[in-house]
Amino acid sequence: MFEFQFESLTAFLEMAPHGSYVWPVYILGLGVLGGLTWVNVAQHRRGLRSVKRHIERGEIHES
Amino acid sequence: MRWRWFHQWGSPRWFYERAGRWQLVFGWVSLGLIAVGTIWGLGFAPVDYQQGNSYRIIYLHVPVAFLAQAMYAAMAVSALVLLVWKMKIADIAMQSIAVIGFTFTALALGSGAVWGKPTWGTYWVWDARLTSMLILAFLYLALIGLRASIRDPDQAGKVCGILVLVGVVNLPIIKYSVEWWNTLHQPASLKLTEKPTMPASMWIPLLVNILGYYIVAAYLVLGSMRAILVERERRSSWVKELVDRV
Amino acid sequence: MSIEKRIIARELWLAAARPGDIVKPIWFLLLVISMVPLALTPDSELLAEIGSAMIWIATLLALLLNSEHFFQSDFSDGVLEQWLFFDRPLAWLVGLKLTAHWLLHVLPLILISPVIALTLSVPGDVSIALFITMLVATPALTCFSGLGAALTLGSSRSGILGVLVMMPLFVPVVVLASGVLIRAMDGSETLPLLALLGAFSVASAVLVPIAVSLAIRVNIGGSN
Repeated sequence: MFEFQFESLTAFLEMAPHGSYVWPVYILGLGVLGGLTWVNVAQHRRGLRSVKRHIERGEIHES
Repeated sequence: MRWRWFHQWGSPRWFYERAGRWQLVFGWVSLGLIAVGTIWGLGFAPVDYQQGNSYRIIYLHVPVAFLAQAMYAAMAVSALVLLVWKMKIADIAMQSIAVIGFTFTALALGSGAVWGKPTWGTYWVWDARLTSMLILAFLYLALIGLRASIRDPDQAGKVCGILVLVGVVNLPIIKYSVEWWNTLHQPASLKLTEKPTMPASMWIPLLVNILGYYIVAAYLVLGSMRAILVERERRSSWVKELVDRV
Repeated sequence: MSIEKRIIARELWLAAARPGDIVKPIWFLLLVISMVPLALTPDSELLAEIGSAMIWIATLLALLLNSEHFFQSDFSDGVLEQWLFFDRPLAWLVGLKLTAHWLLHVLPLILISPVIALTLSVPGDVSIALFITMLVATPALTCFSGLGAALTLGSSRSGILGVLVMMPLFVPVVVLASGVLIRAMDGSETLPLLALLGAFSVASAVLVPIAVSLAIRVNIGGSN
């Protein structure tokens, strides 16, 4: 059950004869998951930063 | 009180903090599960004697396709909660799920198309499952477009909620009608590998990945919800306190 | 005058004031259909085979075209707001308006379809089946396009969006209708499918106005 199915790493990457179908799907799929994570983090940071700017500007205004 | 847990969900601050903790747990657990399931499926699961190695796309395609449908159901629950109890968090959940659900649907369609090439000899056939997945993608897209076109977020949320509920009533009808339509035209008997006799060494990694993708979806939705929450609540005191603490 | 009579009278008056709204979809339908032989082939055998489906799709588009601004004028001149204060359920009034719309703007399209079928040399019995299918199916489609219009009432740039939003929900109707047409073409029993289509229309006519009224409330009230 836990036996590596390919003779070598190059055979694994080649995944004959379907490597050119299998690998792009995984690269795209996992890339999209990573991309969504990044979008969330970026949006979150942008939100916090804009609040911070708002507060700072408000304080300058008051003083 | 029994109702307290329920009211807590109405508090954006409580949700933000709680979701932050859960998000961390979900993120790492899903990363582990998907790493194990994917490496297992790609390297250690036996080769399919009919399809060869191309079947290994199943370890991404099936979990993603599952999620595409499950997320619409989750969105319908959120829509119901929003329209019945007017809970803001439910609206934010709907907004997050629409985008992430659409991405998963597109991914399911894309991976299915690439899988189709070596198995069917063509990227696309008008098969029942592909067609209803495409319609699902259009439904997600409709929600994203509708929300983007309405300026007031509260109003947009309610309108989208109505559309989600109408859609969820219609989805089974669409699914069955598309299946029936397909038998009507007697397509070539193209079937994905859904042999009932998939050996355990093939389906266990699949199960691991399905679980992993469910959790990663939860992680992504929570992350997106927290980001939207900060944006929408930027004028409230708890967000300002939050920024001060950082 | 009762509220119902007033609403119908207003619809008639609006239609009389803008006859273009009735003519334009028919015009559109005719144009699209005349493009079919031009784009494809004048071969009448092939046209007979695909003609009914073409008419069906063109009618669908024409129907969507004229429901784009379904509630817009009532919304902007405050009539919809008045409806909220009548002692009638909003869904009932919406249903009334949808019925009036179907009679004034959809029925003409259906009535003209046998003539169009003739130009594409669709066989007589298929053309009758097409006519009945449209009669049975369009109430559901009208309800859904009304819902699309109601959902996009508050959007800054509506128009095509309502169409895009509602189109996926047309799938069951389109599929069942195509089933009827295919069976009519090979001469088998169409009644069970027509009954199913009719049931879908009746269910839509009962349920969709409720969703429409909800959408109108959201877009007018804001506070509920």
